[in-house]
Amino acid sequence: MSKIMTVDVLSSIKGAQPSEAVNKLFEVIKNANTANTNTSNNHNNAVSLNDLRDDVVIDSSATEKQIIIENFPKEKNGYLVVSKVIEE
Amino acid sequence: MSSQIHSIHQQLVNKDITCTALVQEKLDLLKQNTNNTVNALLDTLALDLAAKVDAKIANGETIGLLEGIPFGIKDVYMVQGTYTTASSDLLKNYKSAYTATAIQKLLDAGAIPLVKENCDSFGHGSSSENTIFGAVKNAINPDLVGGGSSGGSAVNVAKDYTVFSIGGDTGGSVRQPAGYNNVYGLKPTYGRISRYGLMAYASSTDCVGPIAKSIEDIRIVLNVMSGKDAKDQTTYASAEITPDSIANSNTIKTVGYFKNFIENDSIDATIKADFLATIEKIKAKGIAVKALDFFESETLVSTYYTLAMAETASNLSRLDGTNYGNRIEGDNLKDTYAITRSENFSEETKRRIVGGNQVLSQGFSDAIYLKGLALRDAIAENFEKDFSAVDIIISPVTPNTPPKIGDSLKDPHAMYLSDAYTVGFSLGQLPTLTVPQGTATGLQITAAKNNDELVLKFANFLKDTI
Repeated sequence: MSKIMTVDVLSSIKGAQPSEAVNKLFEVIKNANTANTNTSNNHNNAVSLNDLRDDVVIDSSATEKQIIIENFPKEKNGYLVVSKVIEE
Repeated sequence: MSSQIHSIHQQLVNKDITCTALVQEKLDLLKQNTNNTVNALLDTLALDLAAKVDAKIANGETIGLLEGIPFGIKDVYMVQGTYTTASSDLLKNYKSAYTATAIQKLLDAGAIPLVKENCDSFGHGSSSENTIFGAVKNAINPDLVGGGSSGGSAVNVAKDYTVFSIGGDTGGSVRQPAGYNNVYGLKPTYGRISRYGLMAYASSTDCVGPIAKSIEDIRIVLNVMSGKDAKDQTTYASAEITPDSIANSNTIKTVGYFKNFIENDSIDATIKADFLATIEKIKAKGIAVKALDFFESETLVSTYYTLAMAETASNLSRLDGTNYGNRIEGDNLKDTYAITRSENFSEETKRRIVGGNQVLSQGFSDAIYLKGLALRDAIAENFEKDFSAVDIIISPVTPNTPPKIGDSLKDPHAMYLSDAYTVGFSLGQLPTLTVPQGTATGLQITAAKNNDELVLKFANFLKDTI
């Protein structure tokens, strides 16, 4: 199997190709001057580990479970039907 | 103080109107409307809730300020038992199993949900044309777009079909349609309102945002929805904003604006002239105005879209038709995924997913994605520096007036560039309000992080000044 994954495979979208409109945006980033930028990337978007929610199981309500089953694309005896997975 | 919420509340309490009549009137308006703002009407639920409010009033019970107030919900929020389509083929029959925290807080306060509102599919667009329900038409001129992605929500408020609506703002999706339809639209500080139950587009900038016809109504709805939520770890606790705290603007001494937003060729001449006239009026009130340096529009737009596409490629990878969604069976599992996604996603959504996977893949991530993150840090640092020198930054909402329906779809790159003035504040996670004043598409008022109160305060000042 080839090690190169094309964007159509990565995106699970048949025949997908990079678009010109989006490539123009990426060109701007490639050429942007980040000389004054801290290249160590101090992105402060991670949440604090001291304030995590309780690690407990919360059971869904009967209504919630019922709606989840209603949303199944294919259902048999209350179970979700999926394609069988064959290893490549 | 103009406020539709206060006014309707008083009418209900005085028994001048019944809640049922009010809700029925709005439902009729929504049903008949030709602006394509409705994805689904919640008529049975709304009328049931209205009858309960009427019964309470008839029994002499006290009702809360939001009790019986009809509102709209962008069709990307979970409301248990209702269809939540994200205006997409993939989820056109998807029913919410649970309710978003922000919406639940409004329901708990007694507000009545009327409608799931049309928008760009998964928030992917700036015109509300990328939808399976037909392009949203502008409230002022139906030949023009309603703006996006929360176009249906802004048009419903502008047309008085809803008293307020809840949009979602990732790169300008509340502020720009608010500007295009001459209403107020707030993107609060990132994390002030829980995102739990808002379908994720770009998680690091997604914000829940109210759209309304007055600052007071924005304040009321913001207060109800704000707060820490264990189901969204990025939320934080915030203090209530009181009417008194935003009545007086005497703490605002200095206002800034980005000169490169104004001094360039792409801004409409009238918007530019009107913006500069606004600056003069602010100066005339004794407030110092500083011209600030900022990143080029192209850099802002490119940074935002690079990161947003990467995040949406990841967020939307779960939509493969396995557990829910419009599955189309193929020869095997992988084929089923690919056909389901190829057939059910719009062209714009596919463009963004593919772009996201491009920048996240080996060979691209260092040159583009990581550099995009570094640029975002630089933009945020720039804001920090600016807010040590000014209290408020004002800017136009858009460089141009709303395009004609059909034009944005022809040129996606031009559509991305039209977000030049909104995306920077999203990357900075700052509170920004569109006010329907100053230019044809309004003005944006921005303050430092967590300073949403100052934004509303300055909006009150502008209302009396220009």
